[in-house]
Amino acid sequence: MGNSLTEIIINSIKLILVFLIMVQAVPVLVWLERRGSAFIQNRFGPNRIGPLGLMQLLADAVKFLFKEEFSPAKSVKFLYYAAPVVALVPATLAFAAIPLGAPVQWDQYVFHLQGYEISVGIVFVLAVSSLATYAILLAGWGSGNKYALLGALRASAQVISYELALGLSIVGVILLYGTFDFNEIIQAQQGPLILHWMGHEITFLSFLPNWGIFYQPLGMVIFFASAFAESNRLPFDLAEGEAELVAGFHVEYGGFKMLLFFIGEYGHMLVSSALIATFFLGGYTIPWVSMAELTQWVGTFIQTPNWISLVTGLITFAVMFAKIAVFLWIFIQVRWTLPRFRYDQLMDLGWKTMLPWALFNTILTATVIYFAHLG
Amino acid sequence: MITDVFLFWFLAIVTLAAGITVVTVTNPIYSALALAMTMIGVSALFVTLGAYFLAGVQIIVYAGAVTVLFVMVVMLFDLKYEVVAFSRGKVSGALKLASGATLGGLLIGSIFLTVNGVTKAVSVGTSEKAGDTTKELSRLLFTKYVFGFEALGVLLLIIAVGAVALARSKGGTHAEH
Repeated sequence: MGNSLTEIIINSIKLILVFLIMVQAVPVLVWLERRGSAFIQNRFGPNRIGPLGLMQLLADAVKFLFKEEFSPAKSVKFLYYAAPVVALVPATLAFAAIPLGAPVQWDQYVFHLQGYEISVGIVFVLAVSSLATYAILLAGWGSGNKYALLGALRASAQVISYELALGLSIVGVILLYGTFDFNEIIQAQQGPLILHWMGHEITFLSFLPNWGIFYQPLGMVIFFASAFAESNRLPFDLAEGEAELVAGFHVEYGGFKMLLFFIGEYGHMLVSSALIATFFLGGYTIPWVSMAELTQWVGTFIQTPNWISLVTGLITFAVMFAKIAVFLWIFIQVRWTLPRFRYDQLMDLGWKTMLPWALFNTILTATVIYFAHLG
Repeated sequence: MITDVFLFWFLAIVTLAAGITVVTVTNPIYSALALAMTMIGVSALFVTLGAYFLAGVQIIVYAGAVTVLFVMVVMLFDLKYEVVAFSRGKVSGALKLASGATLGGLLIGSIFLTVNGVTKAVSVGTSEKAGDTTKELSRLLFTKYVFGFEALGVLLLIIAVGAVALARSKGGTHAEH
């Protein structure tokens, strides 16, 4: 946590702030989803309460809190109540490990704008997000309901299938940057795109930013698609499939317990968006601009080094959130544009299409890196 | 130092308690969930030893995939029959006792046999940034232990192929016609 009291206090506050960012993003996203879907479908959506319907969120939260507390007669009480809590944990842990801004140097302290800094960040995020399946399984089993159980089985089978493609699509990125550390990956994506091939520098692509997507286009596509499956969003939301399973694994949940599942799902969207931005779109760096140039530019307005560092950190934080917001919107837009897959199509896509392509991407990346470093 | 000791004993007790629960509860679902808890506990123990990469992989592979598959299979069972098969009969009780005793004997024996032969352990992951051990680990895997590593890979491939072959011969949606 830190070596002095100041550092420990600030790091603790940071942890709480990161959690609040995630939880507070959920009502805004729900509002965006409802209004956005309404505009896509030529409806109005919630527009009565407050300006643009923004107060609808508060009303919903109050409604969720005051709903009757119940559990089905045949449920397994412990598992039934544990599931919503378990649903919240993986997304929170994963989101806290992703850097949201450049590190801030204040006197002798260095504060990273993330919950906690882990050197094996990628492995950590993959590990904790793989635990999200347990929430679904606990809910499906604990509810004592056939629809819930079927939904849970579908969801867990789907998450396991797509986790392979997700993990393998990141292997290319790991090979490329040679690290598990998010900060190092982001630092490597500064400035314009200059390729290195057998000791030569190729500069004709320097009108593009030095982002991972230009090195790993296939990895990006596979990661993006499996991110949808991992967060159980349409077109991969067979776990919920209203027409067949009513609501899937959370059919027996109401009130605040249901809201916890919601927060978990939107938390997964946030984590996925942040990961895509980190791996493929330069994370918190501004396109074409290196961190040194940004610090220098801020230095023309402010003199004290502490404040320069802080303002730089805040600017990068805003940039990161702009990137995350773009992907969150794509998540929402896709949900209201594409129809749901059939179950066999889903499995075929996961095992017979995305997994082989992810493997091919790994081998291709390794080969290209080997030749690029020759000479 | 105190926190290290406290963490170790706490995690060890949680892991062992979950491990004992795996074999003592009668419902297979709870067994599987306790197994997941054991895996997470082992992973946390890896973290206290500074093996961050191993800890992550432990969760991804065991808690994230293997146990989830296990839970799914258990959910598809006819549980009434399984509960009877799992319950405390004399034969299964004796089997449990025997396997527990064998495992305990093996563990204690290996600890006693190795304590004298091993030189004092060298601390590896002392630094805060322990990501370097990952590089060291991979270098060792692909140089010194490359044959063992590849042999394990072949073994896993054989298991996968064998599982598919067994599934096809036993019927089901992908059976040979």
